[in-house]
Order: sequence, then C-alpha cells, then structure tokens
Amino acid sequence: MKKSGPTIPGIPSVERRMFLRQMGLFSAATAGFLASCTNDQSLSPAGGRHSSARIGPTVDPVTGVVDLGSGDIGISNLAYMLDQLETSFYRTAVDRIMGASATDRKVLEELHDHEVVHREFFKAFLGPNAIPMLDFDFSPINFNERNAVFDAARQFENVGVGAFNGTGPLIQSDEVLKVAGSMVSVEARHATLASHMLGPRKPFAIAHELIDPMGLDWHLTPEQVVEKAQKFIKQKISVANLPKL
Amino acid sequence: MNLLNILSEIGKADADTPERYDFSRRKLLKTTAAAAVITPAFVAATINKAFGADKTVTDILNFALTLEYLEAEFYKMALSMPNLIPAGDRDLFTYIAKHEKEHVEFLKMTLGPDAIGMPQFDFTAGGKYPTAFSSYDTFLVLSQSFEDLGVRAYKGQAPFLKPYKEILLAALKIHSVEARHAGEVRLIRGLRVWASEQETGGAPAAVYMGENNFLTGIPVDVIQLASSKYIQQNGGALHEKLPRESFDEPLTKEQVLAIAMPFIKAVNP
Repeated sequence: MKKSGPTIPGIPSVERRMFLRQMGLFSAATAGFLASCTNDQSLSPAGGRHSSARIGPTVDPVTGVVDLGSGDIGISNLAYMLDQLETSFYRTAVDRIMGASATDRKVLEELHDHEVVHREFFKAFLGPNAIPMLDFDFSPINFNERNAVFDAARQFENVGVGAFNGTGPLIQSDEVLKVAGSMVSVEARHATLASHMLGPRKPFAIAHELIDPMGLDWHLTPEQVVEKAQKFIKQKISVANLPKL
Repeated sequence: MNLLNILSEIGKADADTPERYDFSRRKLLKTTAAAAVITPAFVAATINKAFGADKTVTDILNFALTLEYLEAEFYKMALSMPNLIPAGDRDLFTYIAKHEKEHVEFLKMTLGPDAIGMPQFDFTAGGKYPTAFSSYDTFLVLSQSFEDLGVRAYKGQAPFLKPYKEILLAALKIHSVEARHAGEVRLIRGLRVWASEQETGGAPAAVYMGENNFLTGIPVDVIQLASSKYIQQNGGALHEKLPRESFDEPLTKEQVLAIAMPFIKAVNP
C-alpha cells in the first residue's frame, strides 16, 4: 500500500534545514542528530530553558518497539502515528464497508483525503525524525456494518482531539503549537461529521459525553492515546520519552 | 466604545489591588481543604493561582469571557423563544447553550475578581439581523458565525498562554468544544463541516477571512500535499479545497473584536 517514496517533492534540503534549524527542533546535522545526546542551545531558541537532550524516534532491532522520541519530535510523531492510523482506517473502510450509501462513501473518502493531508504534513515536517510507516490491524472493526464503521471513525477522531489537547501544553516550539492548534479543530470537525452520520442534530454529534461539567473537552496523555490506539497497530509503540504534563 | 481599551483599563486598575492575590489564595486553600474531589471551583482557583498577576493572561481570559457571554446569552435568548428552534433540534441547542454557560462560569471562576461583567448585547447587530430570534435560518447563521469565530479566537490566543500550561490546556479544551459546535451547526445547514473562505453560509465574510491560508513558519508545501497520489477523490476542486480545509486558521484579538463589536451594545465592567 505504501512504500515511503518521495511523495512530497517538497523543499530542497538546504532550505529545509535552515527552516528546521530556525525552529529549534533539529540540529543541522540530521544524521548525527539522533545519535547525539547533547542539544546545541545555539540552534535551539525555543528550547532555551530545557537543556535536556532531545531524542529522535527509534525502532528496536530486536523487539521491533517503535519509540516516538522526545520533546516536540515525540509529540509530532504521536500525531503522525494517529494520522497514519486514521488514513489507513478510512482507506480500509472505503474498500470494505457494506451497506453504505453514496453519501456515506463520499464522507469516508473526504475524511480519508483530509487525513492524508495531515499525515503527509507530519511526514514532511518531521523529515528524518519521522517514525516509519506503521502496519495496522483493523480486525476489531466490523466493516460489514455501516454504523460500526462510523462509530470507529468517531472514536478515532475523538482520540485525535484528546491527543492534541493533552499534548498541546507540552509543546515547546510556538510554530509546532500553532500547527497543532490548526489541526485539532479540524479533528473535532471530523469527529462531529462521523458522529453526525450516526446521530445527526443530537447532543451525541457534539460528543457531549466527553465534555466535563465545566464545558471542557477531554484530553488524553500520550500513554492514554497509545492505550487506545495500540490494539490497531501491529508494532509496539513506546511514548516513554515524551514529556509529561 | 472600544472594548479593547476598556478591557485593558480594567486590567490596569486591578493590577494595583493586592487583595486579589489573597482572594485566589484563600479560595484555593479553602477548596483544597474542603474537597478531595476536583470541583470546577478548585480547578479554576488552581489556574488562577498559576497565572497570578500576569495582565496579559487576565486580558486574554476576559476577551474569551466576552465571547462566551455573547454565545451563552445568544443561546439562552433563543431557547426562550417558543417557536424559534424546531423540536428536533432543541436538545442539541440545549447542550450547546449549556456548554457556553459552563465556559462563562469557568472563566469567571478562573478570573475571580478580575472577571468583567456581562456586556449588553444586540443580536440584530444594529438591525443587520432583524430576525435573529424570529427566523431559524438567521439564528443558525449567527450560531455558525459565533462558533467558528470562537474557534479562531481561541486558536489565536493559544501561543500567548504557553507559559501557563494549566491555562493553555483549559483554553484548548474549550477551543475543541467550539469546533464541535461549529461543525454540527454547519452540517445542519447543509454546509461542509470544514471552514473556508469559499463557504461563509451567510456569515460575515470577516469570520472566514484568511481561513484558506496556512499561517505558520513551518516550510511544508500544503498545496503539494493535496495533490499527493494518496488522495482518493479526483477533481481539481477537491485538490484546492483540501489544503485550505485541512487546517483551521487563527484570528487576532483585534480581528475577533471587530467582528463581535456590532453585537455588543454596552460594556459593564
């Protein structure tokens, strides 16, 4: 299905490095970066107060565990992981859903395509610090039932909302925070659309069950996100190096 | 009348009164001792303690409170009209109204004595929407406008709240609720759930101004992303729509207030 070829013709590498350097996310020597344990403060305007090393993602050659990395890299990889999951889910749903109307299909295709934009965004943005393409297992979902498909969509999108909300305050770079902010409300719109396909014009459509007595939406810690997503992901995911609230 | 000035004057006046810190401390201690459960008052007081004397934050939260007052009052009045909201949609708007009222309460508690009072509103915006509470269609236009405006308003302030994790978290958690509201109102109206300049649905154009952009310093070509071979649907239209719909854009406080101002008749400090 994939093979992560150069899907993003993208930015010339020098220009890209300059931008990334400016953002304080990456050291200019990208290859050496992952191995490096020290964070060059001069390259890191956003990370001035945090002198701890930032770690890129790793895949354990023995156990196959995918560690998302630390800091903004880890948080971005968590979002990238979810966008991979959602895209793959919608792709599978479009292929396998039974009893779907033309509108149902169009909604799934559109959700798929918008999630592709998010996924490819993170892939391009993370560059060499992106986790690999993951493999998924959607066998817990009954694609023969149209409602089960939209219910799964609703839940995936709500995990996306909770993940962005919960990791937002942990983000160090202003630019990354802005991007997360511009995506989380789109995830909330997606959750609404998926819910609307099951219960239009009802409090259900706005996920009232997730909203607390202060009118605040839910948020999830990285651990909780993985707890909810892991059963659909074949590789074991570790968020051990992500920051904590 | 300049709400911005009034808000900032209020902030200045309060910065000189030391009582407010005592207030929040006392309140915090009291709630901590009283209840092991996390009550709204406890959370609000904790957050209040976190930002303490930072006037920037007080101003932002009062700005947010102004918008929440607007929404809460708007839905309260709409629900009080016997024939405005069809029976089938009443439940939904009852919950939306509930959330907005909770946002008001939450922000008031968080701000403590610094909270501004509720302004007086004119939901016809000086006669521009004379049927705000007599035509369901007009009501929906305004509802969509206020919700999508709210999304952009919180988004614009988030970066300024970064030094205060608790406040940023709360703001993000209100932000996504506004987006859920906006999404369902748009769907009820037969619009796309995504926001773009191309589909205002009769809302003031300023609500969606700049919504097509991708305003970040991150050098990823989102237009290229949308022409990726992974995209399922064909057709040029979607390739244009995708990037602008996939990211929601912020508005500044000034932009938001310029849109909200016609609906505000008088400010009550």
